[in-house]
Amino acid sequence: MFKVTNATGGYGKTTIIRDVSLEVKAGEIVALLGRNGVGKSTLMRYATGLIRATSGYVEIDGEMAPPSPAKRARLGLGYVPQGRFVFPRMSVTENIAVAAASNGFDAKKTVEEMLEDFPLLRPKAADLAGGLSGGQQQVLALARALAIRPKILLLDEPTEGVQPSIIDEMAGVLKRINADREIAMLVAEQNLDFCLSISERAYVMEKGAIHMETDRDSLRADKELQQELLGV
Amino acid sequence: MELDFLATVLLSSLSSASILLIATLGLAVVYGLMGVINLAHGEFLMVGAYSALTATQIGLPYPLAIPFAVAMTMLIGATVELLIIRKLYGRIFDTMLATWGLGMVFNQAAVLIFGTVSPGIGMPQWNFQIGDYSLAFYPIAMIFVAAVMLAFVYFLMTHTVYGMKARASIQEPQMAQAIGIDSSRVNTMTFAIGCGLAGFAGAILLPIIPATPSMGLFFAVKGFLTVVVAGPVALTGSAITALGLGGGASVTASFMTSVVGDVFFFLMTALLLWLYPLGISANWRRKL
Repeated sequence: MFKVTNATGGYGKTTIIRDVSLEVKAGEIVALLGRNGVGKSTLMRYATGLIRATSGYVEIDGEMAPPSPAKRARLGLGYVPQGRFVFPRMSVTENIAVAAASNGFDAKKTVEEMLEDFPLLRPKAADLAGGLSGGQQQVLALARALAIRPKILLLDEPTEGVQPSIIDEMAGVLKRINADREIAMLVAEQNLDFCLSISERAYVMEKGAIHMETDRDSLRADKELQQELLGV
Repeated sequence: MELDFLATVLLSSLSSASILLIATLGLAVVYGLMGVINLAHGEFLMVGAYSALTATQIGLPYPLAIPFAVAMTMLIGATVELLIIRKLYGRIFDTMLATWGLGMVFNQAAVLIFGTVSPGIGMPQWNFQIGDYSLAFYPIAMIFVAAVMLAFVYFLMTHTVYGMKARASIQEPQMAQAIGIDSSRVNTMTFAIGCGLAGFAGAILLPIIPATPSMGLFFAVKGFLTVVVAGPVALTGSAITALGLGGGASVTASFMTSVVGDVFFFLMTALLLWLYPLGISANWRRKL
């Protein structure tokens, strides 16, 4: 469904990820674990096409992904970046509408659908996105990514800067989206509990490469690895 | 009597501010939505003026000469974006140099084609009276034109899909691409619209400001300063800056001399940029 093969890339002449391969099957939620600076975000940006590939390739829904990020979005690759990056001087409605319209979907219908799905956005619909709280912006970034009707959703640290009560809610939301819309997800996280609650399978990154592949149960059992990932 | 004088000063100052705004709007769009400072903006205005002039000379009525000028400048603008600007994204100084050079080329081309003096356009001179003072109708009508133009651009940028894409592309360029916006096509469109607005300005102002090859320079400097003082909320910011600086300079000029008016303009610009280095609208919560 979604496949990254032998990904090597970085910024300028600095290579950050080396020879990374991973796969997310249809309807699956996979976690990408690792401490700060191991290359999780870089891998995400590699997958979206926002950084140029030195080598390797990406497949989306069985098709070879073209280099342009916009074309990858149209193939069904949704992206929720670390730091959210909503369009600050556009309203909540416009943030969702522009994503839908850019991929040939009915903007009005999509906005209504998203406000239905994320009721906390409704009272803010006409507000500028830049004025929302961190948690609200995170939800908006998710709604914006869903507006392109993705088949695979990349989430980069969705719990960062979000208060604990909303983190639990978010896990529920992601599971619901995954079940209702059959959207596969790759979630880069440092929050182990959050990952264990939503994903069955995980890749662990270290120094720009995939260190190991594991599943929920072995991860739960492996205290040593947990310690390592938690960075204590 | 005194009141008549004040009303006259107010109207003509508002008219000067409107003319500045008309001439600046295209620059504000290109800077505000692409982050590109188009130093050839004044020359696009000149191209618009000559296009309209040529159109009337070959027999087109003046109201039709205006859309012709807009079409011409949009076409040239799109070509310039595809050939030059596109290669210089994110390199603001290189773009400034390139567009400056382009302006010189346009300027000299106009000298070669049209010569340095050109005939004005024959327009009926309508005047109206306020007390003892007589005012020309056309410059005052520019207040209305500026308002309509501003409303049009605001609508285009806030109520159309293109406008949303353009704003998304300047606010978060990478995210705009990641959600499927083809930003290079959007940018070609934005630059063409900016140039088309310059062309419109040149054409609509033709009865007041006759076409000469170097007419662009006058607007380029003041327009450039207006846009920089305005800052990131390009449209509202530019409107307010044009009103404040252009109108203020004109009021000052009518009580003293036009030199003092210009001194006012540049001193206020320096002061505002000192107080608001990122433009007066840096912290505004507005769309455009």
